Amino acid sequence: MLALILALLAGLFLIAPILVVIPMSFSTAISFQFPPPGYWIGYYRKFFTSEAWLEPALNSLIIALGAMALTMLLVIPAAFGYVRYRFRGKPLVNLLILSPLIVPHVVSALAYYGFLGRAGLTGTHLGVIVAHGMLAVPVAFLVISATLKGFDRNLERAAMSAGAGPLRTFVHVTLPVLRPGMLVGALFAFLSSFNEAVVALFIAGRGAATLPKKMYESIRLESDPVIAVVSTLLVGAVVLGVLIPLVVRRRPATRPDA
Amino acid sequence: MAYLRLDRLTKSYDGHVNAVDGIGVDIARGEFLTFLGPSGSGKTTTLMMIAGFEEPTSGGIELAGEDLTRRKPYERNIGVVFQNYALFPHMTVARNVAFPLRMRGFPRARQATRVREILSLVGLGEYRDRYPRELSGGQQQRVALARGLVFNPDVLLLDEPLGALDKSLREQMQVELKRIHREVGVTMVYVTHDQTEAMTMSDRIAVFDHGRLAQVAPPLEVYHRPLTRFVGEFIGDSNFFTGTVDATRPGRIELDGLGPIQVDVEACRRLGGGRVDVLVRPEGVQLAGAGGPTLPNSISMKITVIVNYGDSVLVIGDARGHPVRMRLAGAPPDVVREGATVTVGWSPADAHLIPRAAP
Repeated sequence: MLALILALLAGLFLIAPILVVIPMSFSTAISFQFPPPGYWIGYYRKFFTSEAWLEPALNSLIIALGAMALTMLLVIPAAFGYVRYRFRGKPLVNLLILSPLIVPHVVSALAYYGFLGRAGLTGTHLGVIVAHGMLAVPVAFLVISATLKGFDRNLERAAMSAGAGPLRTFVHVTLPVLRPGMLVGALFAFLSSFNEAVVALFIAGRGAATLPKKMYESIRLESDPVIAVVSTLLVGAVVLGVLIPLVVRRRPATRPDA
Repeated sequence: MAYLRLDRLTKSYDGHVNAVDGIGVDIARGEFLTFLGPSGSGKTTTLMMIAGFEEPTSGGIELAGEDLTRRKPYERNIGVVFQNYALFPHMTVARNVAFPLRMRGFPRARQATRVREILSLVGLGEYRDRYPRELSGGQQQRVALARGLVFNPDVLLLDEPLGALDKSLREQMQVELKRIHREVGVTMVYVTHDQTEAMTMSDRIAVFDHGRLAQVAPPLEVYHRPLTRFVGEFIGDSNFFTGTVDATRPGRIELDGLGPIQVDVEACRRLGGGRVDVLVRPEGVQLAGAGGPTLPNSISMKITVIVNYGDSVLVIGDARGHPVRMRLAGAPPDVVREGATVTVGWSPADAHLIPRAAP
């Protein structure tokens, strides 16, 4: 009983600051104020009609999708190679792949700033996609290589003895069985880019400003309550992003196989 | 006539030790052959080479006169059933079973009839729309069996398929497998480390010992006339004595520490002379004296342990430092008590002689 109460308190401690932004987003106050003096949806209207907010939102979406694609393109082959083959220097390769997790973001950001600047990619979508793609590699790699380690290779053998060549074995058996793990990996990659602020501040510039960058600037310069709206929408999006796979996985009987 | 021929198959993973070391065996069409051996004896590796999942370091595999050795698994017409079933978790039973037919481009209507046929053969007709995780272990293994058989393979390979099932289910599946083998008539190669499975189902047993074949013979021959001491000890319960053939008196062997015994004169003559291992199965050992039959070979032993099996008892005794195991059918007579000394013996025909390899 005590444990339950403690758990609830801890949960409240973690979640309360996030929940506070929800009433604040409906507030009529011209700056941040809690509790709100009154409620309206004016700031939502402002967000959805303001070019200054919609453009970063679109940038964030494009960049997160691009970074997710890039990460998956790198991580899927890397995970197969890492899990299924023995080679010299394997622990070193592992460390290399996980290094973006270890190196402080500010340091990475500085490095990307110098490197992408020379390549003429600062302030472009491509530049941020490359940087965010790299940063998402460790998490996606951990998720996907763990899924792959748990994969029963006899499934592939069974498919092959059933007459399926390597490609058809991959398409009909390996990929569908690994799909949930890959989707989770992709989701993490997407979120990691979508939520990233430090690197974006350094390299996104004006041309590819993301939502977190715009929020940071807005809170420094104007304390615009629209930020509360954006925060609420982001929290809602993340919650949806986590809940959808849960719901989908609960009824796999309706899912047709490949 | 050999249908499936393994010709001096060898597999080495590290270039030094051979996991499989020159396996050669001819398997007849429709035969049920079992690879039996302890774990690490090379039986599964050999099976994987037949399936095409492992490439032999040397040697060859021939099927109906065609060389299979370098052919990919999907270019062979061989079904495989795995110990952990390896069913595709994202497909229903029917789609799992139809998979080999889809991959082989069977027309849809033909697929449907064939799947129905084979599911009814394994007794899973009503389960066609279930997912593997909704089935019990025994049912899953039937699906795996159906998937392995559905495309009429030339050979069906089974890698310890009953290993994950509990005892009573295992026995039930042994009978099932035997029935399916009879009905389908497909050549089966079955890997197990369970000697009972091998004894009850096989036409012949191939006993593996450290990557080599110790003996290939029908079950009863392997049991009663093992070629090596390893085979005799691995299969069934056994008493082994060592001794020397008495070259001057036919049919006589001097057992180390236990004195002379009479054995089959013919068998003894075939050996000529030298050191031998003498195998007497525990059920060949009988109580002597006290109204029992007079046996030419009798020794007295002190009973140390009695193990009751209900339908029989296993009596373990000590004869001058040599352990002796005797199995008596039914309830034991009163003289058989722990701590008692009894005289036991066996008839010359129940002693099997194996020449000892020169040291």
